[in-house]
Amino acid sequence: MAEVCLEGLTKRFDTELAVDGIDLAIRDGEVLGVVGPSGCGKTTTLRTLAGFETPTEGRVLIDDEDVTHVPPERRNVGLVFQSYALFDNMTVLENVAFGPKMQGIGKTERRDRARELLSMLDIDALADRAPETLSGGQQQRVGLARALAIEPDVLLLDEPMTGLDASLKERLRTELSGLLEELEVTALYVTHDQEEAMVMCDRIAVLNDGSLEQVGRPTEIYERPANRFVADFVGTSNVLPATVENGRLDLGFATFESNGFSETTDGTAVVRPDDLTLGAGPIEAIVRDRFYLGNGVRIRAELPDGESVIVGLDRTAREVTVGDPISLDLEVDRIHVLE
Amino acid sequence: MTRWQRMIRRFDPVGRRLVTAVVYAFLAFLTIPIVYTFVASFASSADGVLPSGFATLENWRVVMGYADYGVQTTVGRSLLFSAGIATGGTVVNLLVGVPIAYALTRYEFFARDWLNALAILPLVPGIVLGIAFLRAYPENASTSFGLVVGYALLKSPYMVLTVQSSFQSMDLRRIEESARSLGASWPRTFLTVILPNAKNGIVAGSIITWTLAAAEFNFTYMVYSQGPRPFSLFLFENINNAPFLQSAAAISIYFLIVVSAIVVLQFLGNRGFTTTTTNP
Repeated sequence: MAEVCLEGLTKRFDTELAVDGIDLAIRDGEVLGVVGPSGCGKTTTLRTLAGFETPTEGRVLIDDEDVTHVPPERRNVGLVFQSYALFDNMTVLENVAFGPKMQGIGKTERRDRARELLSMLDIDALADRAPETLSGGQQQRVGLARALAIEPDVLLLDEPMTGLDASLKERLRTELSGLLEELEVTALYVTHDQEEAMVMCDRIAVLNDGSLEQVGRPTEIYERPANRFVADFVGTSNVLPATVENGRLDLGFATFESNGFSETTDGTAVVRPDDLTLGAGPIEAIVRDRFYLGNGVRIRAELPDGESVIVGLDRTAREVTVGDPISLDLEVDRIHVLE
Repeated sequence: MTRWQRMIRRFDPVGRRLVTAVVYAFLAFLTIPIVYTFVASFASSADGVLPSGFATLENWRVVMGYADYGVQTTVGRSLLFSAGIATGGTVVNLLVGVPIAYALTRYEFFARDWLNALAILPLVPGIVLGIAFLRAYPENASTSFGLVVGYALLKSPYMVLTVQSSFQSMDLRRIEESARSLGASWPRTFLTVILPNAKNGIVAGSIITWTLAAAEFNFTYMVYSQGPRPFSLFLFENINNAPFLQSAAAISIYFLIVVSAIVVLQFLGNRGFTTTTTNP
């Protein structure tokens, strides 16, 4: 366990700026998620922390020690990749015992540690198997056990669930989340899956074009996005022009009483699909599309001015069909207005 | 199921049998000359359509230098010399070709494509390389050292290409980074993780380069002038000057050596790389 600090981290590849002056701290025992679109710099950030990239500017600190120029093998940082990257020339047990062996730990002790981790991850029966004979989920567990075997100060996970099927991903997600909490490991979790980040992480950092857009707890990121990019990227949202005058929120097609917003003539309201409810309300609309999602229903409703909003309904809302006129109400307290 | 799919399905067992038959026919085509030569080496007469007068070891005795008459030189010395030179060439290829294959697969660097092309360039015919060697290094080209370097160079593309294809099938960067994050230095990562994972390619590359070098004729013919007579030249001269059955014995010895080399290299491949697995 350790505390990690990235100070003014900048990484440039030739003329391309991959990471642009990021300041980020991971608290002791915290799981920090890093999300963002492809090419936003999240993997470069992870690789810099691991020691595989040297920052163009800035510093990497682990427990207040400057490790910016320390080679990867001397950082005590565990890595778990999307592609598992297991060593095919070794058995599962040998893979997990490899790190302790490099640390100079005796044969009996390192084998015991490897077996203990395999048992913790419920894969002790696979100890003597060759990695290529395992399923994706099993390989990922071995990768995780191998990274944990060195008792890392920081655990770095680079899209570890990508490539696994949905049900396995959900099961592994719960298990991994419990394990990280139990072991109190400081971890950086890079993913493009926001839902995964919400479930797995104590806090989330949203990156865009190499810059840090917002860091906060999952609820803050979802309910109080710092800007339009975060609102658009994390979850589905209706981003609507808004004005707040004399305590009234005006969305153009309807106005609402509210004292919670600062006065603005040029604001943007972030309305999540589940902030809109079906029933008697001031918003008149017509259902244009309906999507059944299994655990709920999403509809696209057209407003009188021609704009559309996405509305989330529970799966019992079977009566709503395309072409229906509907009335919507807004949970004003739940929406967020960007100035 | 469409009519077309039904037709394909019906053809399936026939197709499979046809492909199997072609494979066996091809194998027979390849092995008949070798088996014929091997069997003939134990015959005492080659006058008829088929060799006759089985079975005698006389031809083997002659070419191995145990008879009072026969070929000019004994085969043993030539074989040992060629095997030594081929082994030298293979070792040079392992030391140089494997790192080149690794660098070409793993890293992006200036003129990488040019180096890639250069690594394959020695696929030129041996006779061309022989002339180039004689012109460039007239003093050294014809020595044993010249032969080792020449064989290594001439056969290097086989090593680079086979090992490169092994590396390409691995997620080289991630594997290397995993090992290093687990505390292994780069040399240790390379020796205990990267190389053992490319084992199949390295063994295949060694077998190909060794066997091709041990019997290389064109280059040898161009540059050879001193030292023991390389095996390919020995064979060439004896096929001209000695009876067919003695040549057959000499060729059989070569095949036995090639088979032994393959067995040894595969054994080394299976056992020799497991520096980590035996001691987790």
